[in-house]
Amino acid sequence: MEAWLDFARGPLFAFTFGIMLAGLCRQVALQIYFLSVNKGRRLKEVPWMTMVRDSLSWVIPIRHIEPGTKIFSIASFLMHIGLIIVPLFLLDHVVRWERFLGLNLPAIGKGVADILTLLTIACSLLLLAYRTFRARHRMVSGPMDYFLLMLLLLPFVSGYLAAHPAINPAPWDVMMLTHILSAEALFIMVPASKLAHVVLFFFDRISAVHWQLRPGAGDKVAEALFGEEAKI
Amino acid sequence: METATVLPAAIPATEMTETPSRRVFPYHLLERPDDELVDRFLEAFGRVLEFTDYKPLLDSYRRSNTKCNRCAVACPVLQASGDPKDIPCYRTNLLLDIYERYFTLDGWFKSRLTNAFELTEEIIDEMGDIFYRCTACRRCTRVCPLGFDHGLITRLGRYLLSLIGIVPKALQVSVQEQLEGETHNTSKVPRAGLIDVLEFLAEEMEEMLGVELEFPTDKVDRDYVFFCAVSDYLMEPDTLMGNAAVLYASGDWDRWTIGLCNYDGINYGLFYSDWHLENIIKQLVSEVDRLRGRNILIGECGHASRAAHDFVPTFMGRKAPPVLNFMEYTLDCIRKGRITLDPNVITERVTYHDPCNIARSGWIIEQPREIIRSFIGDFVEMTPKGSDNLCCGGGGGLVSIDEMHEFRMEIAGKMKAEQLRQTGAEIVVAPCANCKKQLKELVDYYELPCRVMGLHDLILQAIEIPGGISPMERKEQAALYAI
Repeated sequence: MEAWLDFARGPLFAFTFGIMLAGLCRQVALQIYFLSVNKGRRLKEVPWMTMVRDSLSWVIPIRHIEPGTKIFSIASFLMHIGLIIVPLFLLDHVVRWERFLGLNLPAIGKGVADILTLLTIACSLLLLAYRTFRARHRMVSGPMDYFLLMLLLLPFVSGYLAAHPAINPAPWDVMMLTHILSAEALFIMVPASKLAHVVLFFFDRISAVHWQLRPGAGDKVAEALFGEEAKI
Repeated sequence: METATVLPAAIPATEMTETPSRRVFPYHLLERPDDELVDRFLEAFGRVLEFTDYKPLLDSYRRSNTKCNRCAVACPVLQASGDPKDIPCYRTNLLLDIYERYFTLDGWFKSRLTNAFELTEEIIDEMGDIFYRCTACRRCTRVCPLGFDHGLITRLGRYLLSLIGIVPKALQVSVQEQLEGETHNTSKVPRAGLIDVLEFLAEEMEEMLGVELEFPTDKVDRDYVFFCAVSDYLMEPDTLMGNAAVLYASGDWDRWTIGLCNYDGINYGLFYSDWHLENIIKQLVSEVDRLRGRNILIGECGHASRAAHDFVPTFMGRKAPPVLNFMEYTLDCIRKGRITLDPNVITERVTYHDPCNIARSGWIIEQPREIIRSFIGDFVEMTPKGSDNLCCGGGGGLVSIDEMHEFRMEIAGKMKAEQLRQTGAEIVVAPCANCKKQLKELVDYYELPCRVMGLHDLILQAIEIPGGISPMERKEQAALYAI
């Protein structure tokens, strides 16, 4: 089991983390490439500062909590806090980051990490309940939406249990292996699923860029579909 | 209320477009769509991706579509209908699914490995229905954590549908007349008809304001070439006389003109087609070029203002003449003391409706409020307001589709009607031809105790005309006429 753990913590971690980074970089590079090639000079016409300000306002989205979405929005916000802080700043993870990437990140206390982990688990379950029991949420949810939420829960639940032997029903090394493998599965899924919004967030918000339509494109579409005497 | 030709004559239900396997669309079509819709839709989609810039948008959206459903609370249509198919991200997802399945590598792989999504005629029918249940007000974009522009996706969906012949007849006949007809305007108002209307307006103004004037038509080398929604010439004389009164009182009467070859600011291409949007813009600019005008002055119309303001620079580049909404011009005159509005004339309680196209999707929120506060004492705001306003329910071209009247009243405009009622206002100012028509219908339908007017309708009553009858005298005269 120790060999499996070493493999999961070492080469497999490097491989999956590398895939995640490469995948996300590819997404960003493709967006920048398409935008610069397609939009070119028209990018200057876009109100960039407004869009940056608008995007930053969602970092702490208190003023975006709308009536009718309060519980959902707060749960979603807290889940994201846990998702970002615990993997990066939990002491055990800080040690790993230092060994693996040479990063010297500050660590949060164990108590804070426990609270954030439990909050993330509770909020994820709540979001899962929304998707399962509310018709409007169910209507827009596909299998992947449920799968990703459950996959996201797995490293948090297993990590918490591994860190608390008193309530851990399985051997520590089994739980730890589950924790690491599920996190690595998540790494793979990030660029390949909607979790890519971690980097595409800003590109989604620049619809003002996409309203800058390409001159002459409508004519070309019409001509290709209907010939030169296009009348649509 | 009917305009001359913007709205098609009602077609009996039995003649509505229908095939045995296909649902009835909520609007009439000019022609029954051909068969093989799926193949034609995919071909059209492919061509659009080939020649336009929508690909990075669709890629980004499909990769990050969290479907959190927050948009549901912002959509006035969904709030009133309760139908989950009106959820903005459900609608967006329909198009993203098609894009992913047929135009991406991983979608293709997925289709080989699993029972993946397949486009069917039923899905095309569903799109034909739900893309026109959206008023394209873009309120949902403001609450989406990722900023998804569901209005833009709805517009793209409508564009694709239009390429296979699914487009409301009301919009199609209007733009056909505008681009290919003799009159070059959506209401089929002939040049002689326009001249008659302008003469009539001049006579009215002479009687009302006590000044003799002649509307300037086809004058060259003017600072402003004026375009309004052409239906205003038939339905909103007070708004036009208000515009003219401001130009007269400010001393700019010799600086503007109305072109006689093209006098329609309406651009339904904004709602459903890149091709129409661009060609109508080119037609507008060519009229300005013909008259060697220096600025485009758009009357009280939300979508006409946005279409010209945003897309004249997009399509014309450096040659683009500046675009001004009339309220900006009026505010400038007030600030510079070039016109005076009597604050004692309008005594009723007034509220202001923000047209989506110039407020949320535009740049005009505070300007009309500043004008209103300068001469109206009892002004109340709606809640919500400004860029968070509620759509009138006729946006996205729906107001021109007569057969969707019930939908506009019972669903799309229901929250707006309640909002109007809550203000307690006697006058609702709506500086947009589309909003005005929809709100007037809502006021009639829900028997609301208020009147819907343009901002310049009120300005017409309160403006001081140099050498003319004073506003208070005019008010007294009007009261006498009423008796």
